Amino acid sequence: MRSWLVVCAFGLAAISTVMPAPGAAQTAPAAGYTPPRTRDGHPDLQGIWQVLNTAAWDIEDHNASLGVPAGRGVVEGGSIPYQPAALAKKQENFAGRARLDPETKCFLPGVPRITYMPHPFQIVQQADKVSILYEYQHAIRYIYMNGNPHPRGPIEWWLGDSRGRWEGNTLVVDVIHFNDLTWFDRAGNFHSTDLHVIERYTPTGPDHMRYEVTIEDPKVFTRPWKMSMPLYRRQEANSELFEYQCSAYLIEQEWNNPVSPLFEKR
Amino acid sequence: MEQSRIAVVRKALSALAVLMLAPGPAAGQAFWPKETPKLPMARTWTAQKAKLPPYTPGRTPDGVPDLQGEWSGAGGDNNSVLEEHDYIDVTTPAQESFVSDPADGKIPYTPWALAKRNEMLAGLARGWPGETGQRLYTSPGSFCLTAAPVFSFDAQELVQKPGVVIMLSDDGYRVIPTDGRPAIGQNARFWMGTSRGRWEGNTLVVEVTGLNGLGWFDSTGQFYSENTRMTERWTLVDANTMDYEVTVEDPTIYTRPWKMTFPKRRAGTASGGPRGVSVTSVLPAVTNDPYAKELWETACYEGNTESLQSIHALGYKWFPGVTPPK
Repeated sequence: MRSWLVVCAFGLAAISTVMPAPGAAQTAPAAGYTPPRTRDGHPDLQGIWQVLNTAAWDIEDHNASLGVPAGRGVVEGGSIPYQPAALAKKQENFAGRARLDPETKCFLPGVPRITYMPHPFQIVQQADKVSILYEYQHAIRYIYMNGNPHPRGPIEWWLGDSRGRWEGNTLVVDVIHFNDLTWFDRAGNFHSTDLHVIERYTPTGPDHMRYEVTIEDPKVFTRPWKMSMPLYRRQEANSELFEYQCSAYLIEQEWNNPVSPLFEKR
Repeated sequence: MEQSRIAVVRKALSALAVLMLAPGPAAGQAFWPKETPKLPMARTWTAQKAKLPPYTPGRTPDGVPDLQGEWSGAGGDNNSVLEEHDYIDVTTPAQESFVSDPADGKIPYTPWALAKRNEMLAGLARGWPGETGQRLYTSPGSFCLTAAPVFSFDAQELVQKPGVVIMLSDDGYRVIPTDGRPAIGQNARFWMGTSRGRWEGNTLVVEVTGLNGLGWFDSTGQFYSENTRMTERWTLVDANTMDYEVTVEDPTIYTRPWKMTFPKRRAGTASGGPRGVSVTSVLPAVTNDPYAKELWETACYEGNTESLQSIHALGYKWFPGVTPPK
């Protein structure tokens, strides 16, 4: 896995030299911007978007290491309010991240992690739902706007169950029903099945959105906390989603590896 | 889109079926008794559509044919065996070929490619006709991998926006630009290839190139290569029926271009009735369920670890694609 992580890092580093990744504190306010509307009369968020930051590696402030660019965190207030036992587990996760990070198995990365992976995603709006198409692993996420509440649990999904609503120009998404197998980043930040995520997508200009996330998980954190970061519209005239079929590359690479963790019985 | 949920269960089960010498039905799986009459596919549909009156679909606000809606998959044995076959087991009833041209329903492989196809069939090791029992390759479907054109064989919702057609399923998507942009350079290869669409009269024509040659047309090793071009034609033949046709061209492994065809039915218009050409045996009618039209996470790959480990332990190889002789 190391080789492609390094590739991702250098790809991002190349972009970063042109346009430094802004930190959370630099997110511009939305004041005054009125986004175009869809035929249904809602703010039109459609298009291809991507982050320009290092949250995929670590959502808190971090220095560089091999294959990892240094970066400011995206956590408002700087650090994540872990309960003491949870902080110990986070540190264990960090130490064992090369083996323990679910991304190394190409599993669905959870929400909000899938938003700030180093891959673009595309928003498609319809009357009953907002669909987000992620280049990573051809993943798709349906945010239902059809008036149905969250289905009754217990349900454990990798990307949770997403229900959306409009608040002014902001798409607000309430997400519950997660499993406890995903992390927030490659640094071992984690959650339990009690995770409750509230995402807010607010257009701040024709090519920018503010992405704010509230994280609640009373089993892991001492209080709710927030992440925020800008989303950038891809500017290439011919931009489109391609394919990052992570699982296929991994299976092919590991098939003849006699000690591959992919085929270890648990 | 309850059909698509079932399709996924079937997909996962067909992955498991690889491991079982005598695969049996399970919850949600279509159960086909041995006496089921041969299920119709391309031959029957070709005859049916030849008799249909002309149909002009509505237009989107952008003035192109409006093909939007939720569409069923091909149905039948769920793409388990592409060519005409007799009853094999409860999940694989007798069925006509998907292939409409040539008329014999067989993929027109070159002699080299036919030998390769027979070698792959012989190495499936699942107790089906034509196998030696030795293990060679398993279907990419066993790894929860979808490739062109199989994505089109399954159920999906078709959405149109200016300059683009989007297909949404419960475990993936396809975005097809119709704005005339060129395909990416052909050194870039993908499981789904690169799709470029255009409108010809009432038909959405999609050219698929840039394929990585690792996908199969069915579960029995029917293959294509990196050189293959697929041209799909999506045409409404009445308000609730989509004619799907795909032409497959590759002079390095086929002696001539060949075609597959079947209809897709609009979801909800054939409850308990036709699914694709054929009548399905189990499609539970979901009534008064506000969530019936929602697509819920399937996480096929994430739930496939044990199957993956078993296939690996049994000594199957990773299918590397074919390299046609020069």
